[in-house]
Amino acid sequence: MFKQLVHGSLLLSALGLQGGDTVKIALTGPFSGGSAPMGTSARDGAKLAIAEINAAGGIQVGAKKLKIEVIERDDEAKNERGALIAQELAAMSDLSGVIGTVNTGVCIAGDKHLQETGITKIICPAAGSASMTQWSKAGVKDNSIFRFAAHDGIQAAMVVEEAINRKFTKVAVVFDSTNYGVSGRDDMLDQIKKQGNKLTVVAQEKFNIGDKDMTAQLLRAKSAGAEAILIWGIGPELAAISNGEAKIGMKAPLIGGWTLSMSNYIDNAGKNGNGTLMPQTFIEEPITPKAKAFIDGYHKTFKVGRIPSPVAAAQGYDAVYLMAAAVKQAGSTDTHKVKEALEDLKEPVKGVIATWNHPYAKWDPADVTTHEAFRREQTVMGMVKDGHVVFGNDADRERLRKSATTATPAKLNKAKAKTK
Amino acid sequence: MRRLLFLRGAELLAFAVLGAIPLLVLNEYALGLLTLLSIYGILLIGLDVTVGYLGQVNLAQIAFLGLGGYAAGLVITRLGMGMGPALLAATALCLVLGGLLALPALRLEGPQFALATLSFAALSATALNELESLTGGAQGLSIAQPPIFGHILTKPQFYWLCLAFLALVWMLMRNLLASQWGRAFEALRDSPIATDAMGVGTYRHKVAAFALGSGLGGLAGGLYALNLGYLQPQSFGYEQMITLLLGVVLGGRKSLWGALVGASVIVLLPNLLSKHDLFLAFSGLGCAMALAAGLRGLVKKTTRPFQALAPVVAMGILVVGGFFVPNTEDWRKAIFALMLFSVVVGLPEGLMGFLTGFLAKLFRVPEAPLPEPSDLNSVLPTHPADGSPLLVLDHLKRYFGGVKAVDDLSMTVCSGSIHGLIGPNGSGKSTVVNVISGLYTPSGGRVLLHGQELPQGSLFRVARAGVARTFQNLQLFGELTALENVMVALKDVYRSPLPLVLLGLARPEERRAQADALALLELIGLKDQARAKAKDLTYGAQRFLEIARALARKPDLLILDEPAAGLAHPDVLQQIEIIKRVHQRGITIILIEHHMDVVSELCDAVTVLDGGKVIAEGTPDEVKRHPKVVEAYLGQPPETDSATPHTDGGAAPLPA
Amino acid sequence: MNAAIIGQMAISGALMGLVYALIAYGFQLTYATSKSINFGQGELVMLSAFFSLTLTNLGLTHWGLGLSYALMIPGGLLFGALMGLVVERAGVRLALEQKSEGWILLTIIIGLFFFSAAENIWGRDDRPFPTPISADPIHVLGVDVTRLELSVAVGVFAIMGLIELFKRRTLLGKAFEAVAADRDAAELMGISATRTVMLSYGLSGAVAALAGILVSPITTVGPTMASALILKAFSVAVVAGLDSGFGVVLVGMFLGVLESLASYYVGSGWREAPGLILLILALALRPTGVFGKATIRKV
Repeated sequence: MFKQLVHGSLLLSALGLQGGDTVKIALTGPFSGGSAPMGTSARDGAKLAIAEINAAGGIQVGAKKLKIEVIERDDEAKNERGALIAQELAAMSDLSGVIGTVNTGVCIAGDKHLQETGITKIICPAAGSASMTQWSKAGVKDNSIFRFAAHDGIQAAMVVEEAINRKFTKVAVVFDSTNYGVSGRDDMLDQIKKQGNKLTVVAQEKFNIGDKDMTAQLLRAKSAGAEAILIWGIGPELAAISNGEAKIGMKAPLIGGWTLSMSNYIDNAGKNGNGTLMPQTFIEEPITPKAKAFIDGYHKTFKVGRIPSPVAAAQGYDAVYLMAAAVKQAGSTDTHKVKEALEDLKEPVKGVIATWNHPYAKWDPADVTTHEAFRREQTVMGMVKDGHVVFGNDADRERLRKSATTATPAKLNKAKAKTK
Repeated sequence: MRRLLFLRGAELLAFAVLGAIPLLVLNEYALGLLTLLSIYGILLIGLDVTVGYLGQVNLAQIAFLGLGGYAAGLVITRLGMGMGPALLAATALCLVLGGLLALPALRLEGPQFALATLSFAALSATALNELESLTGGAQGLSIAQPPIFGHILTKPQFYWLCLAFLALVWMLMRNLLASQWGRAFEALRDSPIATDAMGVGTYRHKVAAFALGSGLGGLAGGLYALNLGYLQPQSFGYEQMITLLLGVVLGGRKSLWGALVGASVIVLLPNLLSKHDLFLAFSGLGCAMALAAGLRGLVKKTTRPFQALAPVVAMGILVVGGFFVPNTEDWRKAIFALMLFSVVVGLPEGLMGFLTGFLAKLFRVPEAPLPEPSDLNSVLPTHPADGSPLLVLDHLKRYFGGVKAVDDLSMTVCSGSIHGLIGPNGSGKSTVVNVISGLYTPSGGRVLLHGQELPQGSLFRVARAGVARTFQNLQLFGELTALENVMVALKDVYRSPLPLVLLGLARPEERRAQADALALLELIGLKDQARAKAKDLTYGAQRFLEIARALARKPDLLILDEPAAGLAHPDVLQQIEIIKRVHQRGITIILIEHHMDVVSELCDAVTVLDGGKVIAEGTPDEVKRHPKVVEAYLGQPPETDSATPHTDGGAAPLPA
Repeated sequence: MNAAIIGQMAISGALMGLVYALIAYGFQLTYATSKSINFGQGELVMLSAFFSLTLTNLGLTHWGLGLSYALMIPGGLLFGALMGLVVERAGVRLALEQKSEGWILLTIIIGLFFFSAAENIWGRDDRPFPTPISADPIHVLGVDVTRLELSVAVGVFAIMGLIELFKRRTLLGKAFEAVAADRDAAELMGISATRTVMLSYGLSGAVAALAGILVSPITTVGPTMASALILKAFSVAVVAGLDSGFGVVLVGMFLGVLESLASYYVGSGWREAPGLILLILALALRPTGVFGKATIRKV
């Protein structure tokens, strides 16, 4: 009985291997453990896009239409596993590209293996600055690593700007003790300086993953007179901060990274989360038909009432379309050609976040934004209101609705200026 | 010889194959896996010292991986030094920290020990994260591999370097663990009290074992840092530690091969699970194996039903689940858990423990031959016995709270005699013995041996002073063989310094130790069972073995704490015979015994205790008729002269 | 620094400490009868919390929040007890019969399985736990506390009191005490040690479930919710002594307060350090725990 089963499965796998002609795309990220909500959201968003493409017959590569084959790897948010997976992927000769990774550390430990072999990777949705700046620091001439996420630099700038616009002067900087939190702190402090030191940092507080009681940190911020909390962290600990504020009667609003839009913050902070502000690339509001189709599709396919991390899911979804467009333009599944195409995408790509018009340009070690897709224009301030993220101000909604349907010209011009 | 050829051959073959892979397969991924395998191999060999040999759940090894990694990384990035100093620093730092950690952990066992090590690991992770100016904190530390002789190692070369370190560690540890050191570690696990009482020194060995294991962790950490090129404190957390622990258990404790198998499982399993078909095939195979092994165990009645069935159920869940769950990646931890469960329940000795027996049978590997026993006269020279006072107790007191267990007791034991110490239950006999042998510190008074004061409150130092003892509740080293039990205690045999032992140059003294121990086993009639594990011996044989082990100390004074307790009649006779033989060699004996016939037959003098005081002294016959003795035993004064106390039951329960 | 701040820190810390103490109490229950503890207790807390959440949500489709919550509690406790029995049967009994320490690993392994099962059944995200008890702060003596936090204290003392009463007043409870005092002697008296160990694991599971139910409205429910808690609880149990009874309450509260104060005065990143150092010291100086019974080595 067992032998038959074993035999059968081996046979199946042999058949599967003979399938051959496909576009192989690897999806990586933490699918279990603490940062899994983001990893799985990005993965599932990507899978949704892949399912759509495959349902339409696949990608036109040269004369043939090829379906996308997914290779899925869980890096468990561990650097060591990330490095191993990168080595595994780097050794696959027929891989067209990689999409994924949440944790900046995993990028640093693993991406070098991909970069050495020239495997095209779109980092999504990791946002730690170091994941891209490592290449400019190393002075890499030809880079196959792209990023598809609103990087911390943009986000920190917006957070600080928002705090200044709202006429706060004394702020507390609160961050988690991981790489993500600490580099967020550095970016925010840097931005405060850059924007003319209009904010005084009265307290710098740290918390650990898994901390449930934030009273100490908040009391220090409160007694120092903080009017707002600039926060960088992931997950339910953020909710613990909001709830802790309510408990000790503190009214300083949270302004921080996009992770404040994740359901594990919004749900768990409940009404205490109202008024929290964060930069967003995608808001789970069906403002365009495309967005509505995406949100409904996600809910239906993965049987959830709400996307754990809408931003990560939407980015995963769009990243796949970018990759597919690059494969199509290259007319080849060869990852090096895909990279070339990605650096010079001729046709606008319709995504759920925006219509991406020439999102990347040829790599310039002096300017990491050549391999960054997101600009300020695609990012808006979101605000938590009664369990949902809504637009922080209505002007943004209109602007975004437009940018989702018509191409943003800024990037194209810049790229052209460079080539000229 | 054939055995040695076979074992060394297998090792050589394994390392040759591992070393040759990069020449045959030029695949970066395979190289990455193999490199990590070598590093984890070193790490797990280190962990096995505490988990396998010391038998303690050690949760600090992951911290040493991290500390070693950071030490190496900082030496390279901050001091700009090369690979050699970096690895040396990593190893040395962890060696020292491991030794230091052993100090508070010395008195702890079981859950307490696990917690102490866990706290250390958490503390070091906190420190690495918080000392931002030094370690880079959560942002991590990037390390570029420094060149060796002006040349950056290629990936295969770095792999060979790691493999060479693994081979070196393998060789040194094999030599060390097969020596007195390894036996001492295991003895510590089975009975720390007896280890001390045999003069082996728990303190020194526990610290050594811990430092050694941690040092290897540090070395692995240094290589890990060079391999990954990037360190973050969070990589060295509790979850990873559990993986390491499970790796050791899965592979098989107390086995270098086991560590290697465990490392392979840790490194390879996640990759295996990411391919659904491969996973189905393996789980089917595992289930079939569990079924076969379980049925075999049930039919042969070697395992309990639970032990046979549970792995089958667990593997069954795996197979059935495999068909329903499309994405095995998501269930990786559950799958890992089910596999581990099957192994831990079904194969408590681990994969290697199971395979070793199987392979030994398959290839008919002979057991290593034992040498001829030494001449007993050289092992246990006859003492001159002159009847002078050997041991003097001088107003000895030991109180437990308000209870005066030993109350101002004075007595003298003459050289060459067998001195009986009797008394009803609770009269303080065992306490006296425990005070003399150093388990308890006296509340007052002195103990003199050869007219010199014995150390107080240290089993170890008393043992070194020439006193050996047996235990009323057996304290054998159960997992060691009868021969090894005696070898552990042997005095004046192991003289080779540690470096020689590590290099495997201490073989001659090992042979001599075996021969000497065999001579002692012959004395007690257990030579034929030299290879049996102590826990598998009959109860009688275990009692005899305790005496042989104590004799290995070549003691001036031998204390036998109820050597005939619980023995069947034929065994009692043999025990008497053994004690007589020992006595013939001029060794002074203190005998605590309930059996009056044993006392009458053996003892030259008897001291009777009651309520912690001496109530009578003299020859066995005198004592037997002493009115106070009769009263103490029977609870009433004798009615007539002819009332003789029991001579068979000793301290019989009071008449109802 | 002022008194109000110290008071606030102390109260917050002490209430968190009570949760540690409750989980630590679960360790004590099984240690008493079998000298073993469930290293996967954290997963039991988490699994029971998830199950209770499902029960509450199920109840919400029929009744109001108050009634669903009240009806969920016995269900959650029963589930916890059942899982405790599973741990005992699958992970502990065999090892105890063989007098080995295999239970340490087996309970870790079972915990790993529970973790993965919860991740896949309930998802990887943290979720709020609905509760009828208000989370609005009330101001007492210059210190803010919420009713929710107070409910934790009430729950902890209630279940510990009930179990202690059970141990002293019922026949079954006395059997429990007898096995705890001397397993062999109890068996000679006709008490089944195996059943008593089962009972203790069942109780311990129920205690873990209650800890989950009490703490999750404050901290949210998620697969990793207990991983930080459990290490603290473990420390509390060992520092107090695994046979210290109510000693865990004092040590738990002490540790909670110490953590709060350390993160306020030393720096929030060092929150756990004083506790850990204290722990190593306590272990080195008094291996049987601060409130544990010192034992005389007998041979």
